[in-house]
Amino acid sequence: MEKYGIGQPVRRKEDVRFLTGKGVYIDDISRPNLVHAVILRSPHAHAKILKIDSSEAQTMPGVLAIVTGQDWEREDFAPIPTRSAVKTKISGAPLNQPPRHCLAIERARYVGEPVALIVAESSAQAQDAAESIEVDYEELEPVTDQVKALEPGAPQIWDDIEGNICLDFELGDKQATDKAFAAADHVVSLELRNNRVTAVPIETRGAIAEYDAASDSYLLHNATQNVHANRATFADVLKISPDKLHHVAPDVGGGFGAKNSGYPEPPLLLYAAKKLGRPVKWIADRNESFQGDTHGRDQASKVELALDSEGKFLALRTSTIGNLGAYCFTMGPFTPTAGSARTQGGPYDIPAMFYSAIAAFTNTMPLDPYRGAGRPEASFQIERVVELAARELGIDPVELRARNLMRADTLPRKTPMGLDVDTGDFPQLFERTLKMSDREGYAKRVQESRARGLRRGFAIAPYLECSGGMPKEFAGVTFASDGTITLSVGSQSTGMGHETSLPQILGARLGVDMDKIAYVQGDTDATPLGGGHGGSRGLEMGGSAVMTAANDIIAKARHIAAHMLNSTPDDISFANGAFTDVKTDQNIAMEDVIAASFEQGRLPSDMEPGCLDTGVTYERELITCPNGCHAAEVEVDPETGSINVERYWVVDDFGTIINPLLAEGQVMGGIAQGLGQALMENIVYDEESGQLVTGSLMDYALPRADSMPNMQLAFFEDAPTAKNPLGVKGAGEAGCCGAPPAIVNAVLDALKGDGVTHIEMPLTPEKVWRAIAGGKLSP
Amino acid sequence: MYEFQYHRPNSLEDAAKLFDAAGDPQYLAGGQTLIPVMKQRLAMPSDLIDIGRIGDLHGITADKNALTIGAMTTHAQVASCDKVRESIPALASLANHIGDPAVRNRGTLGGSIANNDPAADYPAALVALGASVQTTSREIAAEAFFTGLFETALEEGEMIVKVTFPVTDCAGYEKFPNPASRYATVGVFVARTKERVRVAVTGAGLSVFRAGDIEAALETDFSPDALDGISISADGLNSDLHASAEYRANLIIVLARRAAAKANAA
Ligand SMILES: Cc1cc2nc3c(=O)[nH]c(=O)nc-3n(C[C@H](O)[C@H](O)[C@H](O)COP(=O)(O)OP(=O)(O)OC[C@H]3O[C@@H](n4cnc5c(N)ncnc54)[C@H](O)[C@@H]3O)c2cc1C
Repeated sequence: MEKYGIGQPVRRKEDVRFLTGKGVYIDDISRPNLVHAVILRSPHAHAKILKIDSSEAQTMPGVLAIVTGQDWEREDFAPIPTRSAVKTKISGAPLNQPPRHCLAIERARYVGEPVALIVAESSAQAQDAAESIEVDYEELEPVTDQVKALEPGAPQIWDDIEGNICLDFELGDKQATDKAFAAADHVVSLELRNNRVTAVPIETRGAIAEYDAASDSYLLHNATQNVHANRATFADVLKISPDKLHHVAPDVGGGFGAKNSGYPEPPLLLYAAKKLGRPVKWIADRNESFQGDTHGRDQASKVELALDSEGKFLALRTSTIGNLGAYCFTMGPFTPTAGSARTQGGPYDIPAMFYSAIAAFTNTMPLDPYRGAGRPEASFQIERVVELAARELGIDPVELRARNLMRADTLPRKTPMGLDVDTGDFPQLFERTLKMSDREGYAKRVQESRARGLRRGFAIAPYLECSGGMPKEFAGVTFASDGTITLSVGSQSTGMGHETSLPQILGARLGVDMDKIAYVQGDTDATPLGGGHGGSRGLEMGGSAVMTAANDIIAKARHIAAHMLNSTPDDISFANGAFTDVKTDQNIAMEDVIAASFEQGRLPSDMEPGCLDTGVTYERELITCPNGCHAAEVEVDPETGSINVERYWVVDDFGTIINPLLAEGQVMGGIAQGLGQALMENIVYDEESGQLVTGSLMDYALPRADSMPNMQLAFFEDAPTAKNPLGVKGAGEAGCCGAPPAIVNAVLDALKGDGVTHIEMPLTPEKVWRAIAGGKLSP
Repeated sequence: MYEFQYHRPNSLEDAAKLFDAAGDPQYLAGGQTLIPVMKQRLAMPSDLIDIGRIGDLHGITADKNALTIGAMTTHAQVASCDKVRESIPALASLANHIGDPAVRNRGTLGGSIANNDPAADYPAALVALGASVQTTSREIAAEAFFTGLFETALEEGEMIVKVTFPVTDCAGYEKFPNPASRYATVGVFVARTKERVRVAVTGAGLSVFRAGDIEAALETDFSPDALDGISISADGLNSDLHASAEYRANLIIVLARRAAAKANAA
């Protein structure tokens, strides 16, 4: 039993299935009579659709249906709704939400926007037909950059939205901040970009839609992170009741946010399935994944830090222009506004803060939350400006940070951004990270690097972020008389290991063998509600719901145990899987109580067989605050500009650690994505044509195993949160909050002798080489 | 992918017959370039003639003057073959850094040079080592073989059978991988035989080319320091998302110096 307890490094149960090719992803599923869909996408960033001629395509072999924007409009389906938590402009007026239909009607506004759906007996036939559809476009001038989109005279993407502005936003005390700036001894200011990236899940998106005429209901298998929210979205679009749509996510091969959104393809497939009376499958290829999966980050910001003569932080002022792409998509407007505002200032004690933002439309694929959704942006902003401040004031960056961290004895507190920071010890984590990173040996390592012609740099980056996502979660537990237990949870794993960690919690709490617990997720029939995956909420919400369900079961089982031991519930204690009568010391195992729960004769008169089955909804009041500290040592090759992240250390405070193996995996994966954003990942649109330049893995660079340093990880578990019954804070997105600033600042530290103070991400070899070579080169 | 006919002949004669009889045929070797291109519907051959079963295209032989490698030899076979590692270790090492294990286990020498991707690694080795390409109809010197962007001297239906590399004193290859594709942003192969030094550059131009100034400097003094003060003009060099012409010009010198150091150490 102990080996499966909370805190034990239980190996992932799902891995045997995944590693032996037994996972069941969308494309592994087939159906009798299955037909195949492809999406014809706009090759232009901005163009009027004058005419679509599909007459030849209609007659081609195997072709069953072709649906254009005009056909879609005739059906009178609703646009796909936006679910952004931020809904209004500063003025209080609603944000500008242009209609996002599943197919472009009259005008295409980004490369890859769906223009027609083609269904045929085979995917190849559908592709053949798609190629022979003639679309008459009138090209319009595009704008892909959010700063340019706001300039006077910029191409207007929406006729009725002036200036390409979706909304403006502000948070914090402007007056207090301005006052602090006016009185400050030093003001350090930096303009920077958070580059646009995309998730590149190993499994591209895909779905199979079915329609049953007898019950007038739909079944959708979909590579999604969020079955419940998207069921509501798709039902809204099709104008059906959500209970007519059964939405199932089988094994999902990675999401990172990009499978969270209400995409246009599933409603199109559901429509086609009903129209044809046959199951319809669509699988995105990698090019479609780059063009048609939501992108993340893409913020242009100005960050200003006010300090006193001692280097004490007085105020922080950040203004951001966020790129939304052509539409609001699902939660797009949230990220550059509230999503980026909440954790401004990180773990530092900054008395006054003000954050303002404008979210702009451009002719690009829309943006939606990507691992971290605003918190990595905020973390990068503060850490970069602090590093620059240290440089400008001539203070050691380690020392400047140490001087300004929030002290443990000042917690709990609310930051000027309204974030409830309850528990933690930032200075202690900072010290531990420094200790791990062998500062004594650093000077020698610098010498060794120099001897090899390389520059070495170090940076430390404490971070403070927060959880998010839907504030409710459901857990259901059913018991079968053969001893098996089924746990159904509305949070969802897309590879993170919930199939292990959630049964681990239930098993540990009940004292039953977790191998007997079957795990169900990603099915709107299995749980009445579910928040899916996102905002590092898996354990915080799903785990807390499981814990609540377990406590519920124990309370009921206590009654049964009391009855069986001829005692009263108040005299029964529960520990290590056994109920004990504190008076007589007689005890009975949970497993025996479960067995008894199926026999009326062994139950108290007010209980019935099957009475242990439980379904609970856990609701959070306050989001949690994962925090920690990263440190990186890098080597830079001045001749080529190449960067090698050589050493890496992290101490994280995720509250209680349920399974360190899984938590470490989250940190490493987050660092990989953070390193990717810092050094190589970049979605590039051609400014003139609006074409997607990085539309394949030949051009979009991803980190690989050999890009990664050896990472030394540790957890600080002395400050669990009381915001949830598990004491967990969330682990999923922390890695990409800490890694970009740690790595970028370490590179800039390596280049301080070259007078380099800033390089925009990604720090590609050429950019670094140019920064070093500086004036020696023509621009 | 569009529809096509698949054939798998056992001899060069049968392959030639199939080729002549088909409308728009293509030879298929490891398929690591051709299949992705077909999947993207950028190529639509009527017939694929799989040459993998043709015995004449396989095998590696070595004597003290030359190393001969069959066209169907995979990158993994070249990388792990003792004969290659003993006679021209730089060539084995080059093959070991092409793509990833899956690509190396399928992709072939013949396919790589027939394709002549401007960022491919092998062309630099063939040109620097002064290799000759044996085809079904003739023998072509490497420098005459690579004629331009994705262009070679191969005639319609002409097949590469094997490549012969004269054994050198020493050689070294240095590659700066494209961060996304890991093809060569620039790759420089330096080889020294008796009095001659040959330096071939891939990735930087439309097709592989020899770097005369670097060769001359290394011929005077075969050491990395000999390249101090030499610069390469960026004119006509490739420029793309990942590397400008100017940056590539810098890389050529940096990599040539490192390749020369490797050759000296070999
Ligand atoms: C992910 C990935 C990474 C890669 N990375 C690199 C890299 O780092 N460096 C590098 O150099 N390459 C790289 N490649 C390309 C790889 O080396 C391919 O193997 C090579 O380009 C083609 O060889 P093939 O045997 O697969 O040829 P195929 O794809 O089968 O054929 C390619 C072309 O050559 C023709 N052809 C094949 N054999 C012959 C022959 N004997 N005679 C005449 N014509 C012939 C075919 O008709 C076709 O037109 C990479 C490929 C992939 C998919």
